[in-house]
Amino acid sequence: MLKIENLHVKVDGKEILKGLTLTVPTGEVHAVMGPNGSGKSTLANVLAGRPGYEITAGAVTFQGRDLLALAPEDRAREGVFLGFQYPVEIPGVNNVYLLKAAVNAARKHRGLEEVDAFEFLALVREKMRLMRMEESMLSRGVNEGFSGGEKKRNEVLQMLVLEPRLAILDETDSGLDIDALKVVANGVNTLRSAERSLVLVTHYQRLLDYIVPDHVHVLVKGRIARSGDKSLALELERRGYDWVTGEAA
Amino acid sequence: MTSAALSQRVLDEYAAVRESLPAGVVSPERRQEAVQALAARGLPTTREENWRYTNLRPLERARFAPAVVAAADAMGVPAETATPALPLPSGSELPAQLEGFARYTFVDGVFASDLSSPEEQNGLSVHTLRRSARGATSATVFQLPRALPVLGRLPEARLALLNEAFATDTAAIHVGGAAGQPARVEVLFIAVAGADIGTSYPRVQVSLDPASRLILVERHIGAGGGTHFINGLVNVDVGRGAQLTHYRLQQASARATWLDTLSAVLATDARYALLAVNTGGLSARSTTHVQMAGPGAQLVLSVAALGDRQQVQDYFALVEHVAPRARTEQIFRGIASGRARVAFNGKIAVREAAAGTDSRQSLRGLLAGPEAEIDVRPQLEIYTDDVRCSHGATAGKLDDDMLFYLLSRGLSPEVARRLLKWAFLEDVVSKIELPALRRQIEHDLAGQMADAASLKELL
Ligand SMILES: Nc1ncnc2c1ncn2[C@@H]1O[C@H](COP(=O)(O)OP(=O)(O)OP(=O)(O)O)[C@@H](O)[C@H]1O
Ligand SMILES: [Mg+2]
Repeated sequence: MLKIENLHVKVDGKEILKGLTLTVPTGEVHAVMGPNGSGKSTLANVLAGRPGYEITAGAVTFQGRDLLALAPEDRAREGVFLGFQYPVEIPGVNNVYLLKAAVNAARKHRGLEEVDAFEFLALVREKMRLMRMEESMLSRGVNEGFSGGEKKRNEVLQMLVLEPRLAILDETDSGLDIDALKVVANGVNTLRSAERSLVLVTHYQRLLDYIVPDHVHVLVKGRIARSGDKSLALELERRGYDWVTGEAA
Repeated sequence: MTSAALSQRVLDEYAAVRESLPAGVVSPERRQEAVQALAARGLPTTREENWRYTNLRPLERARFAPAVVAAADAMGVPAETATPALPLPSGSELPAQLEGFARYTFVDGVFASDLSSPEEQNGLSVHTLRRSARGATSATVFQLPRALPVLGRLPEARLALLNEAFATDTAAIHVGGAAGQPARVEVLFIAVAGADIGTSYPRVQVSLDPASRLILVERHIGAGGGTHFINGLVNVDVGRGAQLTHYRLQQASARATWLDTLSAVLATDARYALLAVNTGGLSARSTTHVQMAGPGAQLVLSVAALGDRQQVQDYFALVEHVAPRARTEQIFRGIASGRARVAFNGKIAVREAAAGTDSRQSLRGLLAGPEAEIDVRPQLEIYTDDVRCSHGATAGKLDDDMLFYLLSRGLSPEVARRLLKWAFLEDVVSKIELPALRRQIEHDLAGQMADAASLKELL
């Protein structure tokens, strides 16, 4: 599904990713952990195509295609989804309008007709129930006045409606209360399938109790310093990052 | 052309047509006063601070004589009976009529009964003054004595004097008594004749008796896409405790020159909500002057302006507080795309007697083109201590984070930008309380966004 090779990325002239290599096969869930500032969000943003990043070396292929050559909107239409660490508020842009526009953009890309408005709303309502979101949130502006946890739930709602092939969730668990964490994890798990891949960026092993990953990677100073199975997350929790950084240094 | 030469041309053109101008609209004496005042003070120039952003060059080429009078001349008929020379738009080409609203349509500043659908409403009377006897109706019922002196002394309102001198008709709206439901009136002005023929002079007088209510929709459109030259004047008098909701849509043709002046006086506890959406014209300037004459008066002035290509959208608003405890809220949202220039200059003057004034300004401009220009300027002039005035003014580009968020969901850059522009106007558009009108405006503002609104309603 996703293959990242020797990726070097600069931001404002400063190298943040320094030769990152990572492969996420189809149907797998990979967790990416790592200290603050190690480059996790940078990686997520580069994959989604955010401007402002200078890719100085390396390659990323998504389903066999050069991902970096695609415009951000085309990546989304091809099935790449980024759940933002800090979802932006867009007052005045209606939530449900954005959802519908997003779904239709992807459908058009695949040569399909626009969704039927009624069926679409029924689908959105169903997913909202799953995410325990109040229906009134639909008619509000995108994330407008949402609490931190509500914003994260809204990200997952969008993902559930868009059904991406590759979802990258950047700290979607941060800022969630215990119940919300279960709701979000449950939502994410409904999307797990043999055709889809997930990259979970997280600081907390607790999320991985609910969404059990196939692999765990530790990102330190712009590179994958260590990879392992889910037990790596537990070990990290016990021993802290010093254990890995110490080894990496 | 020098300002003096231009003033002379106004005088000459006035002398040539004065006999053909309807006395029932403006008396010959007042017309004479107006041209003389204008000649004495000259037409505005961009060297003046509050005309800096206006494109005044079209004035040099303008024919000030009313288009209908010139047309009558050409046909050899008396000006009183003249109708516009060009084919009128048919009813079906007009904006859809709003339910419950009486519509009065004016073509090139003259009432067109074929295109109108008057309606009896409690307490409401609407007259068109063109055919009324010399001075009679206007003098007895509809004189707005406070308006002219204001226009006379205000440098920013000088162009209103042109309308005063050359006016060809007036929609005179009067609401009496405290009826249960507010009266509902739409005045629709269509510019048809080209600027080479003459000027179109839309003119409206609105007066609300104490405690009465009116919802007024004032719409300006153009037919035939010509280079219309339009100079409008609106006088508003809101009586004690009366409420006026006034929607003004400036949708002049893409090549039109649009100039207009609105002057309003608010009595004690009067409420005036003025919401303007300016999208039309090549060179447009709107001047609004509101006097908070009575204690406790309330004004909400909301303006949305869109400029694209080479358009100039300039708005000057002066709110004068002369009585205590009045409240003003000014909201401006303007977007400049292409090479357009969009400006809003919002001035609030608080005179000595206006203790307890509360004024707020929220002025925001959005720069949506590399060669576009935007200028939002709050101005405060305060002569008393006991006031609460707050203002925020910002001008900037589309937010990159918002834009990327939308792209990351698969929206094309064009749609994403349009959506964000749309969202930017929401603070003004959401204030439109008539769903049908809001839909029309939304449709005009963002053609493809129309289904967003319809989807909203399913929820
Ligand atoms: N515009 C920028 N200019 C300079 N440095 C930047 C810029 N943007 C990000 N960085 C730096 O890049 C580094 C990586 O940031 P990134 O957001 O990818 O970290 P992260 O691993 O997601 O951290 P966290 O766990 O706190 O979310 C940080 O040191 C950050 O300060
Ligand atoms: Mg991060």
